[in-house]
Amino acid sequence: MSELKRTQLYDIHVAAGATMVDFGGWEMPIEYPTKIVAEHLYTRHFCSLFDVSHMGRILVDGPQAVDFLQHVLSSNVNALDLNQAQYAIIPNEDGGAIDDAYLYRFEEERYLLVVNAANTDKDLAHLNEQIKAYDAKMTVITGDWAAIAVQGPKSKELLQILSGGEALTEPVKNALNTLKFEGRTVRVAKTGYTGEPIGYEVYIESAEAAWLWNRLIELGAKPAGLGARDTLRLEAGLPLYGHDMGPAPDGSEMPVFAVSLAKFAVSFAPQKGDYVGRKPLERQYAAFKRIMERDFSNLDVLPKRIQPIALLDRGVMRAGMPIYKGDEQVGWVTSGTMVPYYKHEGVGLQTVILDDVAKRSIGLAYMNSDLLEDDEVAIDVRGRKLKAVVVPYHMRVDAPPFARPIIYRPDEEEGPAASGDRKPKALELITKAIDNHQWRQERAINLIPSEMTPSRAVRLLCASDPSFRYAEHKKIKSFYDADVFYYQGTKFIDEVEQLAVEEMKAFLGCSEVETRAISGQMSNTAVFSALMDWKNRLDRKHDPKRLGYVLNNHIVKGGHLSAQPMGALHDYIAIDPVTERQAVVNFPVCKDNIYKIDVEETKKVIDQYRPEFIIFGKSMVLHKEPVAAIREFVDDLGLQTTIMYDMAHVLGLIGDYFQKPFQEGAEIVTGSTHKTFFGPQRGVVGMNWKKGELKYGLWETLESRVFPGSVSNHHLGTQLGLLMAAYEMNQFKDEYQKAVIANAKHFAKALKAQGLNVAGDPAIDYTETHQVIVSVGYGTGPEVAERLERNSIICNYQATPEEEGFTASGALRMGVNEMTRFGFGPKEFDRLAEIMADCILRGKEVKEDVAALRAGYTEMKYCFSDADVVSALDELAKKTGI
Amino acid sequence: MNFPAELKYTKDHEWLKMIDDTTGLVGITDFAQSELGDLVFINLPQEGDEVTAEESFCDVESVKAVSDVMSPVTGVVAEVNTELEDEPQKLNEEPYEAWIAKIENITAFGDLMDAADYEAFVQK
Repeated sequence: MSELKRTQLYDIHVAAGATMVDFGGWEMPIEYPTKIVAEHLYTRHFCSLFDVSHMGRILVDGPQAVDFLQHVLSSNVNALDLNQAQYAIIPNEDGGAIDDAYLYRFEEERYLLVVNAANTDKDLAHLNEQIKAYDAKMTVITGDWAAIAVQGPKSKELLQILSGGEALTEPVKNALNTLKFEGRTVRVAKTGYTGEPIGYEVYIESAEAAWLWNRLIELGAKPAGLGARDTLRLEAGLPLYGHDMGPAPDGSEMPVFAVSLAKFAVSFAPQKGDYVGRKPLERQYAAFKRIMERDFSNLDVLPKRIQPIALLDRGVMRAGMPIYKGDEQVGWVTSGTMVPYYKHEGVGLQTVILDDVAKRSIGLAYMNSDLLEDDEVAIDVRGRKLKAVVVPYHMRVDAPPFARPIIYRPDEEEGPAASGDRKPKALELITKAIDNHQWRQERAINLIPSEMTPSRAVRLLCASDPSFRYAEHKKIKSFYDADVFYYQGTKFIDEVEQLAVEEMKAFLGCSEVETRAISGQMSNTAVFSALMDWKNRLDRKHDPKRLGYVLNNHIVKGGHLSAQPMGALHDYIAIDPVTERQAVVNFPVCKDNIYKIDVEETKKVIDQYRPEFIIFGKSMVLHKEPVAAIREFVDDLGLQTTIMYDMAHVLGLIGDYFQKPFQEGAEIVTGSTHKTFFGPQRGVVGMNWKKGELKYGLWETLESRVFPGSVSNHHLGTQLGLLMAAYEMNQFKDEYQKAVIANAKHFAKALKAQGLNVAGDPAIDYTETHQVIVSVGYGTGPEVAERLERNSIICNYQATPEEEGFTASGALRMGVNEMTRFGFGPKEFDRLAEIMADCILRGKEVKEDVAALRAGYTEMKYCFSDADVVSALDELAKKTGI
Repeated sequence: MNFPAELKYTKDHEWLKMIDDTTGLVGITDFAQSELGDLVFINLPQEGDEVTAEESFCDVESVKAVSDVMSPVTGVVAEVNTELEDEPQKLNEEPYEAWIAKIENITAFGDLMDAADYEAFVQK
C-alpha cells in the first residue's frame, strides 16, 4: 500500500488528539477528542474549523482556459464573474459524474478548480486528456496552498478580527475576495460543505496554514473532523461523490440529474458548445422536467433520483440499506446516520434556539423517480423494516445566521372555520381599533421612514363619498386626447384628478404626471411594463423582448425591493443568454462608504454593459443619488439609456434641500405618496418629455399601462386625499423639508453622542435624507426592534450592506419625517436619542418616558390649521357622518 | 482509560458485573465506547430473551457505524436499561454505570479476563 499523504496541518491534528484515518489516500482527522456530535453542534452554534487541504486544487490558465473549462465542466463558465465561485459537475460522455467540483475565479485570467481528494488522480487523468485540444494549462497547487473551512454563525465575526474589520466578501453565497489577515495574503470564499449560511473557505500559503488555524482556535473556533463534516453535509442535503453521486449501490452509474442540484450546476448555453456529456445531459434534463411535472410515463432516462429521507421509527439508516414500497424494492439509502440538532421553541422571528439537544435519523436515498414528498417507505435495517418518509429537505438556511433543522411533521389539521355570533366580534374590532389608533397617535413614537400620518383634512377627504366609486377614464385621440369617462357621476373626481396632476407637476418639476397608480410598487410595475411595451412597439408579431441591461441599486446595498427582479421588475427583465442570469447590473458603492454610489466605478459599468435603463433610488438611503453626473456620462457616450429615479422614500424631499430629479436629468420619477410625502397610500409617476419628442410615446404607453394595465378602480377617496396632501406639500415644503434634513442630521449626531453606532459619513453628519441607520450588532436587529416596540418606539430592523438578510440584520432604520411633522425639533430628538440609548444599551424599560415625550406632540404641523379650515373640516366631518 | 477491578471483561470489550452466582449486569467498556465514538442509538434485547455467551444479543450505533454487543454469558435477560433508548450517550459518558441488560439463570461464561489482563489486552 502506498504511503498516505498528509496535509500542512497534520501535526496540529495529531497534537490535538485527533483520530486519524485513511481518507482517499490522505491521513485525515475523522474526529477530535470532542467527538462528532459535539463538533457538529459547535459548527451549527458557533464556529468550527475543517482542514480541507486534501481537496485537489488545480489552477487553470492560458488563452483557451475558459473554452477548456466550458468543455469539461457542466456549468456556464462565461457566467462566472471575477470574485465569484460556482458549483459544477465533471461529466463523462455518458452523462454520469466523474466528480463534482467547485470553480473559483479569484483572478481575472486564472481559474481555481477544487475537486474531491479521492478523485483527484482520476480527474486529472481525464482533464489531461481533454486539455490537449486547448491552448491552456493546469497546475496542481494542492501542496502549495492550504485550505481551511471556517463554518458556523460566528465564522464571519472571527475572521473579521483577522481582517481588521474589513468585509470578508460580499454577503452572498459564492462570493470571493483576496485580502490580508494580519499581514498575510488570504483568498476567502463564502462557500462550504456544511450548509451553514455563514461559512467560509480560506486559502492560505502552506507556510502560514498553522498560523491561521491556531489564531482561529485562540479566537474560539474549534476543530472538527471528517465525521462531523459528513453529518453536517448530510443534514444540509449536499451530495457526497461515491454515495449520492457517481456509482449507484447496484453498480450502475447514477445520471447527473439524479441529484436535484444538477439543475443549477448544468448549463446548456450555446457558447458551451458540444461539451463532454452534453447530449445525454440534455436528455436527462428533459426527463427531469417531465418528472417535476409528475409525468412518470417514461422513466428510462432517469429511473431513480436522490431524495432526502427521514426515519419515522426508532433506529438508524445506513448507506446501502434497501428501501421498499410495499413488497417492491424502490431503491437504497445512499447516506444515512443519526444527526444531532438544537431544539427550538417559539414561532417565526421569535424562534429561540435552546440548549437542549435531540437527534434524528436522516439520510439521502436513491429511489424510484415517481416517489413524491410525504410518501412513506420502509427501510430494511438489518432485517427490520422501519418506516421512513420522503421529505423535501432536512434543513433550511433562509433565516441566517443560523441553519435551521426542519423536523418532519405531517400536515396539521386546519382549525374550525370562522363561525358564531359576529356582533361581539364587531364590537371587539372597534375597541381594538381605538386602542391601536390612540397608541400610535398619542403614545408611540413612529420612526418607520416609509410611513407618515396624514393630516386630518387628508384623512377626512379619503373617507368621503368618492371612496366607494369608480371613475375609469381614458384619453381618446378622436377627441384630441380628451379624457372620456365610462361612468356618470364622475365630474367631481375628474376635476380633482386634473388638479392633483397639476399640483404634482409643479411639485415634481416635470411635464406629465400620472396619479392613478395606487402604490409606489404599482407605479414601478407600470413604468417597467410601459418601457417593455415601448421597446416592442414596432414588432407585435413575436414574443416581446424584455428589458436589459438594467442598472440599479442591489437590494443588499439598500436598493428598493420594488426595483428588483424579485419585485416589480420580475416580469420585465431579460435573461442574458451568455450568463443565463437576469440582465441586471448594480451600482458599485464606495469602498469607504457602502451607502454611497461610486460614480467613477459606475461609469466603467455603464461603459461595459451599455444599460438601456438606469434606476436610481433606494429604500435604505443616506445620500443623494448622482443623477447629474451619470446623465452627463450617458449623454457623452451617446447612449439612448432611459434614466429613472425611484423616489418612493424621498418623494417628499424633492426640492432645494435634497434633489430636483428632473433638473438633474432624470426622465422618469416614481414615488410613494405616503413616506416623506404627506399623502394617503398611493403612487405617482412623473415623466418629462414634451409632445413631439420621440419618447413622448413612452408617456402615452405609461398612461395605458396604468389604466387599464394596472388598475380599473383607482381608489377615488384617496385621490381626494392626495390632492389635499399636494396642496399641503406645495404650501409648506420649504419649512418641512428643511426641518426634516436638519432633524435627521441632529438625531444621528445625538444617537452617536449617546454611544450608539450610527452608520454613514460623520463629515456630512451621517445623512442627507430623512433616514438614520444605527448598527446594534450582527443578527440582533430583530430583537432590538421588538424591544423598542414593547417600549412604544416603532422602527424597523434592517440588514446593512454587509449582512446576509433580514434575519441576520444588525441595524435599525429610522426616519425623522413623521415625528418632524408632529413638531419634533432638535430638543425632542436629543431626548429621544437618550431614551433609545437607555433602552438599547442599558436595557431600561422606557415606555413611560416615550409616552411623556410624545404627549406634547400630537398636533400635526405643516398643514392648514387656520380657524376657517378647522371649521370647514368640522363641517365635513359632520356632513359626511364621520 | 478506566478498568474497574471488580468487573470481568471480554475480548470483544464488554464488561460483566456479577450480582450473585447466577445473575449479572452487562455493559460495554470504556475502551469500547471510546473506539466507537458518539453512540446515538441502541437496539436493546427484550426481557426473556435467551442469550448465549460470545454471541450477539444487542447492537449499538455510533454516528459512524453499527456494532454488535456480544454476551459474556449464557442466560436469560431479566431486565433491560430502557433509559439508554433515550440517552444512548450515557454509554459514552458513564460506561460502567450504563448497564445494558441484567442476565439471570447464568449457566455458562465466555472467555473472561480480569481488569489487569484486559488492560494489558487493549494496550497491545
